[in-house]
Amino acid sequence: MFKQFFTLAIRNILKDKLFSFINFTNLVIGFATFILVALIINEELSWDKGNENYDRIYRLQLFMDEPASTTQHTWSVTAALSRHDLVKLPEIEKIALLHDVSDNNMEGVFLSPDKKNQFLIRYGYFSDQSIFDILTFKFLEGDMQKALTQPNSVVLSKTVANKLFPSEKAIGKVVYGENKVQFTVTGVYADFAANTSLTPQYLLPMASFGPISNFKDYETNYWAYAFYTYVLLKPNANPANVDKQIFSALKDYRKEHHPYLRPLSMLHLNPYFQKDYHIFLSIISATALFILILSSINYINLQTANATTRLREIGIKKSVGFSKKMLLRQFVGESVLSSFVSGLLGIYLAQLSLPLFNKIIGSNMLTSVFDSWSLLGIILVVTVITGILSGLYPAYVIASYNPVKALKQKFVQDDANGFSLKKALIVIQFSISLFLLIVSFIVYKQTNFMTTMNLGYNHNNLLYANVTTYKVGSFEQVRDRLLQHPEIEDACYSNYVPYILPGGDVLSWEGAKSDDKVFVRISKVSYDYQTTFKMQIEQGRNFSREYADKNSCMINETATRIFNWKDPIGKSMKVFGKDYTVIGVMKDYYPQSPHNAIEPHLFRLMADSVGLTGLYTIRFAPGKEQKAMQIVKDEFERSYPEDVARFKDYEHLVNMDNANKGWEMFRNITIFLAILSIIISSIGLFGLVMFYAKRKLKEIGLRKVFGFSLGSLYYTMTSGFISYILLSVLLAWPAGLYVYRNLPGATKYPLQIWEFLLATAITLIVALLTISFQVLKASQVDPAQILKDE
Amino acid sequence: MIRTVKLTKIFGTEEVETTALNAINFEVKKGEFVAVMGPSGCSKSTLMNIIGLLDSPNSGEFFFDGIDVARFKESQRTELRKGNIGFIFQSFNLIDELNVYENVELPLLALKTPGAERKRIIEEMLEQLKISHRKKHFPKQLSGGQQQRVAIARALITKPKLILADEPTGNLDSANGEQVMQILEKLNSEGTTIVIVTHSAEHAARAHRIVNLFDGHIITEQYGKKFTTAKLFTEPTLYPEN
Repeated sequence: MFKQFFTLAIRNILKDKLFSFINFTNLVIGFATFILVALIINEELSWDKGNENYDRIYRLQLFMDEPASTTQHTWSVTAALSRHDLVKLPEIEKIALLHDVSDNNMEGVFLSPDKKNQFLIRYGYFSDQSIFDILTFKFLEGDMQKALTQPNSVVLSKTVANKLFPSEKAIGKVVYGENKVQFTVTGVYADFAANTSLTPQYLLPMASFGPISNFKDYETNYWAYAFYTYVLLKPNANPANVDKQIFSALKDYRKEHHPYLRPLSMLHLNPYFQKDYHIFLSIISATALFILILSSINYINLQTANATTRLREIGIKKSVGFSKKMLLRQFVGESVLSSFVSGLLGIYLAQLSLPLFNKIIGSNMLTSVFDSWSLLGIILVVTVITGILSGLYPAYVIASYNPVKALKQKFVQDDANGFSLKKALIVIQFSISLFLLIVSFIVYKQTNFMTTMNLGYNHNNLLYANVTTYKVGSFEQVRDRLLQHPEIEDACYSNYVPYILPGGDVLSWEGAKSDDKVFVRISKVSYDYQTTFKMQIEQGRNFSREYADKNSCMINETATRIFNWKDPIGKSMKVFGKDYTVIGVMKDYYPQSPHNAIEPHLFRLMADSVGLTGLYTIRFAPGKEQKAMQIVKDEFERSYPEDVARFKDYEHLVNMDNANKGWEMFRNITIFLAILSIIISSIGLFGLVMFYAKRKLKEIGLRKVFGFSLGSLYYTMTSGFISYILLSVLLAWPAGLYVYRNLPGATKYPLQIWEFLLATAITLIVALLTISFQVLKASQVDPAQILKDE
Repeated sequence: MIRTVKLTKIFGTEEVETTALNAINFEVKKGEFVAVMGPSGCSKSTLMNIIGLLDSPNSGEFFFDGIDVARFKESQRTELRKGNIGFIFQSFNLIDELNVYENVELPLLALKTPGAERKRIIEEMLEQLKISHRKKHFPKQLSGGQQQRVAIARALITKPKLILADEPTGNLDSANGEQVMQILEKLNSEGTTIVIVTHSAEHAARAHRIVNLFDGHIITEQYGKKFTTAKLFTEPTLYPEN
């Protein structure tokens, strides 16, 4: 029985090679796409699973119950919480306190093996020794048990060790930090996998933090939100118990703030209870599922249409006593076989196209289809299920043929006007393609809108550098010297710039009800911050050398709106215990990607006599980047001979932004999937019209005999399909609108009908081209030949 | 073996109804060789399909081996047909994608005959019909006569009680046609009941009895060369008075 099943299935596949090619291409592309997207999803869900204690690891976070604030969650917490409150809890096995060495500096800090060859390295942390008990490290050199027990030791990742000490062992060597602090290497650990949320490149002992940062009392300080805390719970401990006990730990300091534990499994996908990432992943997963459905629909339609070629077989089998059940089993079996083989080919195609796909999503995380056997297992199960589901209907149709008619090879015409499953499937198919195309247009426009919109300042023609220095003194002289060059238009100095987000504090304001508080971002800027970035002043004035602005501040528009201040100039704000008078209102600008809402922002003047560690931003004359770079380099080498100032084009910061990167990936992937869906639909349509044209040959022949024109033939053949596309508009447009309404992010581009019209037009044109090919071929027939055949 | 009472079959679309069989009383006895004749479109094939249990009548009674099967569902008809009825068609109706051996194998697969036994029976049958040297060939590689012998082999493979042959010689030259007739006669002499539809008066005359069909009615019955009164009249009257 099986032998004949396979021989018959294979010979049928080989019988009509064009049909089989269409059929398999369709399924293989469908599965390959599904597999690629499944890989992304699998990768996203696999984050941090490399940790042995994955299920017991938590991160301490804060919920800031201030309804007016945009930022309500943070994982920057105080050290005192770890040192005083958490240690008392019986549920907790280990606690590790960390502090980011580079702090607000997104670029990292410099390390060098010999004071000369500086390497800019990000993600260094001061850390407790206990981090090794919580997260899983693999030590290559040194003793993990005491790697961070001595002050001024350093543990390096393999990558950093190779950078600093190529071709020699790092252990025992000396590493110089910025400001010339000296560390001794006590260990080297294997690099973390890309799907890890915390990826330390090097670790310094927490004991060194106090002396180096000159922050002696940090362990008792409840105000400095500058530390990260990782916790390992005891087996079977309930994190909710911990949350309950620490809920009010900050009641004496900031009663609105409530610490809680967030599980490691959530840190990548949803650390702060925001849906953004879930929406991205949901849309991508839904798209992959849709594409698989498209393929299945193609399969169903093609198989049903192709059933006419199996009529004789069905008639004979029925006449010799094959039951309907046996035939049903045979045809479902055939479709499971096709689906399974396509699944295997799909896996192969996915593996082949992985480099291309990585390029499209702008990542190199997906390494191989064969990394996860459980995923492969799931995919093969999906192929079998797809085979069963898409085989059932055609098999049912086939097995139900009346044997007498089947033997006469009379095809049962389906009802021309009434509802039929096939028509419904075609409409669903067009709807899906159209919907995916609309979504890709929406995402495309939204991404472009966000990356090209006016952010409230001009980020072109800027250079910036983060300089760590002991130097104290005037930046004014440096600036004056720079401005003598016509290539330099402006220069400023600040502790934060757009795309490097400052922290802040929860502030009250004049006229606020007693309980009203809001999180306000606070940064310090020099006189020329606003002009260098070409930001706009809405009311009042900028900081000025002509005034004594030491106790002045500026706020942004959003702040005046939240404070409900009609006339903000002259009002007073208390920041870190000192009073500041508002002298001006800055027109709102986006301090990071416009994906994020603008928050209230307060600017203080960076006094000219402070330490000069901070961010330097230079505006150069358009087209003079090279020249300006040289001028700036020369000037900083002269003025800061001890320090490193590596200037970069400001666009680098824009491109590095996570939200911008996320949107670009999202855009590329939706376009990629939309194109695939169009291709798959076209394949299906091509096959379907091929059968349709064959069945219509007699009609075409007759029409030709009666002298109908090609145009009217064309109309007869295409009008049905076109009406399906128009029907699908009714389904796809509202669905597209729904996606637009639910796009994550604070800013949305203004929706236009063009996205919808264009997508519909493209679907229509692709469908028409596909149909036309068949129609033209069919209309070439010799009517005499066709009619004679009858 | 077969007895129908007022068997009626109507084909219809919404607009037009065509009565294909109009209250037909028809009987075939066990071991009989009956030929059905009539002009094209006189519903010979419809009658064959119904007595072959491929199709069901609209009304009337139909006894197959003593069982009333007129109201049988498709699955019941399939069950009864399996192994009991062999079909031979004018257009051979072989499956192009299967070779000779596999085509003959089909009814045994439906019967779920075990593999070894299947092989033995098929080899024997192919030998008997002198086509074993062609068993790996596909239908398109065979002559019409050979194809019909394969079709006959397939019809006989389950040793059915009844063979229905719908113009089995219609697509064959006279030599091959004669061969087919000889095979059928031999089968009949061994006890198999045979109903054959034919346009050839010469072939029909070799049956026990000839039934002439016209416009859905049986108009005449006559006895062929093989007719033996003794056989027919030992049983009571077949048809009730109209």
